[in-house]
Amino acid sequence: MSLAEEGHLLIIGAGLAGYHTARQVRAQGHAGPITILGAEAHPAYDRPALSKAFLCGTTDLCDLYLDDPSDPLDARWVRSDAVTALSTEPLGVQTASGTFYLGDAVVIATGAEARRLGGHAIRSVEDAAALRAAPLAGARVAVIGGGFLALETAATCTTRGAGSVTVIAGEDLPGLRRLGRPVARALHSLHEQHGVRFTGAARALGVTRAPGDPQADQVVTLSDGRGIPADVVISAIGASPATEWLSRSALALDPGTQAVLADDTGFTGIPGVWTAGDCALWSAQRTGLRPVGHWQETVDQAQALAAALLGGSPSPMQEPYLWSDQHHVTIQAAGMLALADEVQVLAGSIEGNDLLVSYLRGGTEIGILGMNRLREVVRWRKSRRIRPAVLAA
Amino acid sequence: MSPPIAVFLTEEGTVHALDDTCTHQDASLAAGWVEDCRVECPLHESTFSLTTGEVDQPPAKRGVRAHQVTVRDGEVLVELSTAAPKLPPGVEVA
Repeated sequence: MSLAEEGHLLIIGAGLAGYHTARQVRAQGHAGPITILGAEAHPAYDRPALSKAFLCGTTDLCDLYLDDPSDPLDARWVRSDAVTALSTEPLGVQTASGTFYLGDAVVIATGAEARRLGGHAIRSVEDAAALRAAPLAGARVAVIGGGFLALETAATCTTRGAGSVTVIAGEDLPGLRRLGRPVARALHSLHEQHGVRFTGAARALGVTRAPGDPQADQVVTLSDGRGIPADVVISAIGASPATEWLSRSALALDPGTQAVLADDTGFTGIPGVWTAGDCALWSAQRTGLRPVGHWQETVDQAQALAAALLGGSPSPMQEPYLWSDQHHVTIQAAGMLALADEVQVLAGSIEGNDLLVSYLRGGTEIGILGMNRLREVVRWRKSRRIRPAVLAA
Repeated sequence: MSPPIAVFLTEEGTVHALDDTCTHQDASLAAGWVEDCRVECPLHESTFSLTTGEVDQPPAKRGVRAHQVTVRDGEVLVELSTAAPKLPPGVEVA
């Protein structure tokens, strides 16, 4: 059952998924009212720069706003009001302010919350602003985590003049499990060239105060017994879907992550209730065919969801795509990297920060990753482009 | 001072000149993808018209400057736009 032409669309969550869903629904012709409820006090903003340009101090929050002030979306934004419960009959949500919002359709896009082991996290602009205000120059920085968020943050801390940066990635080389050995070696080399140190396979167990070292604020304790003293500790160890408010709802949640389960158009199975972005787990993500937590995945989901919600047929999802910037090296990956059983170096070198690698499964190329290889990656993506089927008149 | 300028030759044989830097973040449009008289930024999905510089979709919100191009005896002459360049936040003309 699709949303009627004059129907009220209620979007829960004012982040990337909420904004792009509203934008797509408008672009695809919906004329009825759209309300976007957000828990945060700010206009919807884009997060990728929080670990890079914003943390460096070269951009400000107003540069990150998703909506264009000179051409704003035709939607009603409600800020600073967190949802507390979903109602299916009547369809709508209850918020912390005591308001009940009715909708003809509800899109759940509440995103995810940072998992925290201690110290700073980087998820919201408040998190990033707190770290931006921290005295990083000369400081001993410990970064817990080995994903792109952790590595970007480590790189930014070197730019900010940190005295030392130690990354506790929990694997021999950063990205080894997800990206394979050549890329992990290249990432390790890139960061070492800029003075970042790695602690290897030992995992971070916790963050404690440092009684024996009066100069250091904290110590990160590792699974091999070592302690990493630090003035500033940053956790970048992933995020959990922000679905606590749905725990007593009729929605099916993933038993592991508590993400809202949906089909590959974002439909939850409950009439009128849809979901997208980091709070959601679509079928293809559940089976490992599509990635979770990527910016581009959320933008593509919004387009597919909007089409299905309005009764159209969604454009096919393109190859998954992600990018990162670390020490002025642009890292881009496309395709189904998680399914690869073989990695081949196509060009470049570990030390040259210009690696181009191919990911294969059963001998067939299914993905690519480039470091400062913008032309090669864009060409690969375009060559794999899936065009919408042309419908017979 | 002018920011870097990219010159594009399309499959149809037309020549165009735009400011090279995407207005969303520091990326060279010269490394992008040219199709249907538009260039797509190599990082994200915003595309810019090769004739007017206007942008079609986020994440970029603003177009880039288009410059006037004349091809004379196989040489490309570019007359710089007098408009102010629209660079991404945090990027300045060197």
